Amino acid sequence: MPEMAPTEIKALARIIDELDYYQLLHLKPNASPRDVKLAFHSTSRVFHPDANRHLDSDLRSAVGDIAKRVTEAYQVLRDARRRGAYDDQLGSGGGSRIRLAEALTAGSRQDTETRQGRTPQGRQYFNLANLDAKRGDWAAAARQLQTALTFEPDNEFFKSELKAAREKAR
Amino acid sequence: MSEIAIGIDLGTSNSCVAVMQNGKVEVLPNAYGEATTASVVAFREDGGINVGNAAKANIIHCPDRTVHSSKRLIGRYFFSQEVKKAQAICSYQIIEAENHGLRIQVGEECFSLPEIAAMILSEMKSIAEARIGQPVTKAVIAVPAYFNDNQRQATKDAGRIAGLEVLRILNEPTAAALSYGFGRGLSQRVAVWDLGGGTFDISVLEIGDDVFEVLSTAGDTFLGGEDFDDRLIDLLADEFAVRTGINLRNDPFALEKLKVAAEGAKKGLSLESEVEIRIPDVITDENGESHSIERSLTSIEYAALVNDLVQTTFKVCDEALQQAGVVARDLDGVMLVGGPTRLPLIRDTVREYFQQEPREGIDPDRVVAMGAAIHAASLVSPDQEAYLLDVTPLSLRIGIVGGLAEKVIERNTPVPIEQTRTFTTFKDGQESVEIKVFQGESQEAEDNELLGQFSFADFDKGARGEVEIDVTFEINTDGIVSVTATDRATGRAASTRITLSSGLSEDELDDIIDQGRTDRIEQTPVLDENDHVIGAIPLKSIPADTPVIFEETRASKTKLLDDDSDLIEEGDILPLDEAPAVPEAAPVTAAPAEGPTGESGEAPQLKSEPSAFDLSEKTAQVNSSDPDEIAAFSGNFAEKAVDPIAISTEDEGDELDLIDLDDDAEDLDLLGGDDEDDLGGPILELGRDAELADTEPVMTKDELFETPGTDLSALDDDSEEPR
Repeated sequence: MPEMAPTEIKALARIIDELDYYQLLHLKPNASPRDVKLAFHSTSRVFHPDANRHLDSDLRSAVGDIAKRVTEAYQVLRDARRRGAYDDQLGSGGGSRIRLAEALTAGSRQDTETRQGRTPQGRQYFNLANLDAKRGDWAAAARQLQTALTFEPDNEFFKSELKAAREKAR
Repeated sequence: MSEIAIGIDLGTSNSCVAVMQNGKVEVLPNAYGEATTASVVAFREDGGINVGNAAKANIIHCPDRTVHSSKRLIGRYFFSQEVKKAQAICSYQIIEAENHGLRIQVGEECFSLPEIAAMILSEMKSIAEARIGQPVTKAVIAVPAYFNDNQRQATKDAGRIAGLEVLRILNEPTAAALSYGFGRGLSQRVAVWDLGGGTFDISVLEIGDDVFEVLSTAGDTFLGGEDFDDRLIDLLADEFAVRTGINLRNDPFALEKLKVAAEGAKKGLSLESEVEIRIPDVITDENGESHSIERSLTSIEYAALVNDLVQTTFKVCDEALQQAGVVARDLDGVMLVGGPTRLPLIRDTVREYFQQEPREGIDPDRVVAMGAAIHAASLVSPDQEAYLLDVTPLSLRIGIVGGLAEKVIERNTPVPIEQTRTFTTFKDGQESVEIKVFQGESQEAEDNELLGQFSFADFDKGARGEVEIDVTFEINTDGIVSVTATDRATGRAASTRITLSSGLSEDELDDIIDQGRTDRIEQTPVLDENDHVIGAIPLKSIPADTPVIFEETRASKTKLLDDDSDLIEEGDILPLDEAPAVPEAAPVTAAPAEGPTGESGEAPQLKSEPSAFDLSEKTAQVNSSDPDEIAAFSGNFAEKAVDPIAISTEDEGDELDLIDLDDDAEDLDLLGGDDEDDLGGPILELGRDAELADTEPVMTKDELFETPGTDLSALDDDSEEPR
């Protein structure tokens, strides 16, 4: 990220509430965790308070505001659960910021849902799969998970469980 | 030429100062030529103050006028567990000050903990000035990563009292990582395992070229090498009691001898597998008969004594790794920091836990000061050469109804960070709101550290629910917390450095600075003929066939003691690579230390295999400068005590009422129907965060109303249901 002129810094600080976290870190919505980290590092090189201590107090405070928002963005985007909650909020037009504590609890809930099933049928077959797995009948467990996935085709947790069950069944 | 700024490792037992000049980091040795200086302050009867090794020698003569291990007390409340323990054990007087604060009383005078710390900092500053040859006014001070805001704030105050502009409060493990990775263009993930005299920290960092990102940090501010010493003191005292029926713990002088012996044994066992403990004339009984302690101690016995303490650290490591989302085998390296990490038993258990050899070539006593110096230089130079992205070690919370504390910023969140909550008043015409801020990991408010509380009244009064108050929580790059309350309607704000009630106010700080008691510190003394310094003889670092060098130098003088504890003047031994040719020792450079040799002044006086050391009154007298930690506290600090926080409950009434407004004023209807005037003033936080119900206990209205004097309640839609 290039050095910024004082006017640019002030302008960025002024419009910061209008930027979502992806825009702030210059990231695409599908950015990988590695991209997020690298963006945080390069953005920090520009806005870290240490790097800007020579500026006059007005500018320093503008940079400080940006730096705080950058860490906030990173703290949300680096964690799959928080990021999921944030994406949901963005998707529903819910504003460009999310409270960290909320993102976490929303994220946990989402995570729990993913792990237990988001739909009644998904949950039902997932539970059946667990019972089969407990009995050691991995083939049956794999079938139940397969069925659960027909209700929640994008449930990554179910997918990984299915893969594991199939391997065990062999 | 750029400005000079130093790095200071302000340790529980020892402190170290370093500077980076012309691209080279140097540890600046004290007048004795030693890299570390005892963190001890002695108040003489004549009003003079000694700091460092001269002060440490004073412990045995004037235990009540010699303050050691004060870092364990800084930033604490008087009612805390740590203070109670210190009171029971320390020979100096710890008294209660206003607002649960504490002071150390010496004779007629009282000193706050920041002032004591300032005296040590002042000494480190003088050492630096003497070595650099010009005044020093700026410093980076390293503190344990797990220090809370109160402790950081107090340390920063100490710097100010010492006449230092504190450029940064830096976490010790981060400093160590900086020292390790600076300018090396590394791309590594490392763990820093830091066991000091009184604290344990573990940090997991990712070093990417010039960026040092802390992924997680965890720790225990009640666990350190001094706790190891306490275990051995207990063993020796118990054995002595069985043998003679005399309780050595009742005799301060005997206790001091045990402490010196325990510390010496620990250091001996860092080099040898067995040490001989001899304390002649440890006590004289009422019949005038003198008793001694003689005992050998193997490293296996010692390991058994301290094993549970060591294991405690790995539970903390589990937590840090889990928080960082890494497993031990993902790590590219493990760094050991702190004197006790020289113990083979520590290296062995660390190797086993992390499944890899700890990094060699890092001096565990100096690496923190060196890292602080690197950062200090970077902060006064025009070019930024390293970026430290650190985290807050503890969750920041706000007190809510029912004695609970709700999380606002989670631990291991990168700093700087800011979070805002919006509140409203709970009653018509309410006069003020009260905000309590906590740090810690418990949902129970009282299990966390109270950072401070303040009431905000500068808003236009209105009907309940009409006033909107934004409360902003900020953690800066020092890890220091500030809170601002703003009335949205008028923009009027009350901003506060969260001052813990026991901390020093601006006025008190100014008073202390005006008093200038740090000026009474006797400047780094020039040794006279009667001063003897016991330095280090790392035997293992000297090849067996190397003739031992005997050298009469004042700097870094080392005494060998024979069985009769007579001083052998010609027995001054210096480590080969550090023997200063002239009394003015050359600064120790920062080149990675070659093995365990960089230990001038840190190892025990050793005689021969098995290494032995003697303790007698006489030894202790001349032992004016054994610079490693002296055992300070007995008892087991490993039992992680959580201080009960006295939550004030008398603030009933109007001033407590706050409601988190967020976006839904209609949420207020949740409370409708009841007579809020009976509440005794809870503040309500009403938000859209229905998610809270998933993780935080939510008050039923009955519970809510039965709880007097609490501040905020997190109510949300779900909280209706239990009613």
